[in-house]
Amino acid sequence: MKRQWFISGALLTGGSVLAQRVIDITGTGQGKISINLGSFKTGSDAASRNFLAVLKADLNRSGYFSVSSSGGAVNVLGQAAGGSQIKADVHVYKAANRQKLMGKAYSPVSSGLYRKLAHAVADDIVYAVTGKKGMASGRIAVVGNRTGRKELYVCDMDGKGMRQITKDRSIVVGPRWTPDGKNLIYTSYKRGYPNVYLTGRRDPITRYGGLNASGSISPNGKYMAVILSVSGNPELWLVSAGSGKLVRRLTSTKRGNEASPCWSPDGNHICYVSDSSGRPQIYIISKDGGRPARLTSSGTENVAPNWGKNGYIAFCTRSGGRYRIAIANPKARTMRVLETDWADYEDPSWAPDGRHIVCSRTSNYRSSIYLLDTLKDSPVALISGSGDWYSPACSP
Amino acid sequence: MKKVILKWFVFGVVAASLAAMTGCKKNDAGADFYDTEANMIGDPLMGDTPLIDPLGLPADGNRDLFPPVYFAYDSSQVNPEEAGKVEDVASALKRGRHSGVIVEGHGDERGSREYNLALGERRALAVRDYLISLGVDPATIQTKSYGEEQPADMGHDESAWRKNRRAVFAIY
Repeated sequence: MKRQWFISGALLTGGSVLAQRVIDITGTGQGKISINLGSFKTGSDAASRNFLAVLKADLNRSGYFSVSSSGGAVNVLGQAAGGSQIKADVHVYKAANRQKLMGKAYSPVSSGLYRKLAHAVADDIVYAVTGKKGMASGRIAVVGNRTGRKELYVCDMDGKGMRQITKDRSIVVGPRWTPDGKNLIYTSYKRGYPNVYLTGRRDPITRYGGLNASGSISPNGKYMAVILSVSGNPELWLVSAGSGKLVRRLTSTKRGNEASPCWSPDGNHICYVSDSSGRPQIYIISKDGGRPARLTSSGTENVAPNWGKNGYIAFCTRSGGRYRIAIANPKARTMRVLETDWADYEDPSWAPDGRHIVCSRTSNYRSSIYLLDTLKDSPVALISGSGDWYSPACSP
Repeated sequence: MKKVILKWFVFGVVAASLAAMTGCKKNDAGADFYDTEANMIGDPLMGDTPLIDPLGLPADGNRDLFPPVYFAYDSSQVNPEEAGKVEDVASALKRGRHSGVIVEGHGDERGSREYNLALGERRALAVRDYLISLGVDPATIQTKSYGEEQPADMGHDESAWRKNRRAVFAIY
């Protein structure tokens, strides 16, 4: 019963409010909507052809579509033309009755931004046809060691367009986005001790004695949940996001460590890891404090929670000597483990579409970044090669 | 200030293909993997000695003066064979030979990076608590956790992991 319940896609993607907009599933692929871009025109320039290639890849990766050049349940017409600038005109029709689902002329942008334009068009098409939020315009923050140091990088949701954010020649741990998606907070040793930093700001948010790690900003931007050992033991604290001043200590586990806090979508609760039971398990506590509720009870180790806007908590579970990704519904107290191969999958982060999860995959001691589908698609490699990549965080 | 703790671990098991939580069952298959914490010294959490603001204090020191303290898997207890190393550092500090020490906690590569960061800190704090119990001034001891970020041995087997679960004394 529970299994069937979980496999239902509508629940996972946050309700069926717009279900009537979802087109009947037909054509090729396993339950995917066949979408025909064969008649979409491009210029002879590289930018508009690259634009179309990125758009097709985004639509395939969305999980809802199977891109084709003929037939299809949905037709995408229009054109993209590039020069110093690129512009696009996109019209989407339901093939059966020629019902128009979308028509939009995109303002010209510099040709160098063809990827950004393609991502925007892909998300608009996903929404027009399925009524669901896409993920193509999202970004992934990730730690990479290709320079020999552990620096922070940001790329698009397809793993392309990688750029290096920090040049601290130090160690970056556990990046997370600010709720507005404009900045990142992360732990760095650039001034000797592990402190929590915000991109674009020179001074750390917190630099208390001992450990300052795993900072996570509340949805309203006011608070930061963070692990501090200033009291003599690693505990979960709430501090002011602006000044770093202590607001309150949320845990008092003299025999335990806390780690990896993240916020509930409504900002009232914090989910985190504690080993106060003897092994690391996942707990939920009110931002006002009180008695924490234990979420996980199975597996030798449950770590790295990430609470999606869809209400589900993705986390990493160790069982049978292997790390895998699981998702839990904290209200119904149900969970399921995603099917993956023999490799270790860790550090899950919900994609902006609330359907996919980005995580690290480690095999033969090399770590790369993968996209997992909570519904049916196979895992996809997003970032691999040029050193190890880990601790991904998707933008909101 | 020795403290003996007995801890019993209960291991839950998830069947590989299980989709739902169906409760857990007891299993001691992991018992050899996780050391019991009997007869360990320096429970980190007996002390609630708050840490001081490290601003203005050194962030680095000489790591070659004293050997590292090694730990069991997922444990932050200083075990009896390692306690003498901490005692040597305590004597040197109490004799006023050095200004202070940064205790650097490390873990092996298994487990989540953020959890290992907290575990490394607890190892450093366990050593700090033992130093304090031996009479060292808390203001001369800082802690710094590197988690699994700076392994001493880059290998991926038990012999490498054993060398990486450590607390290093950086003396200044």
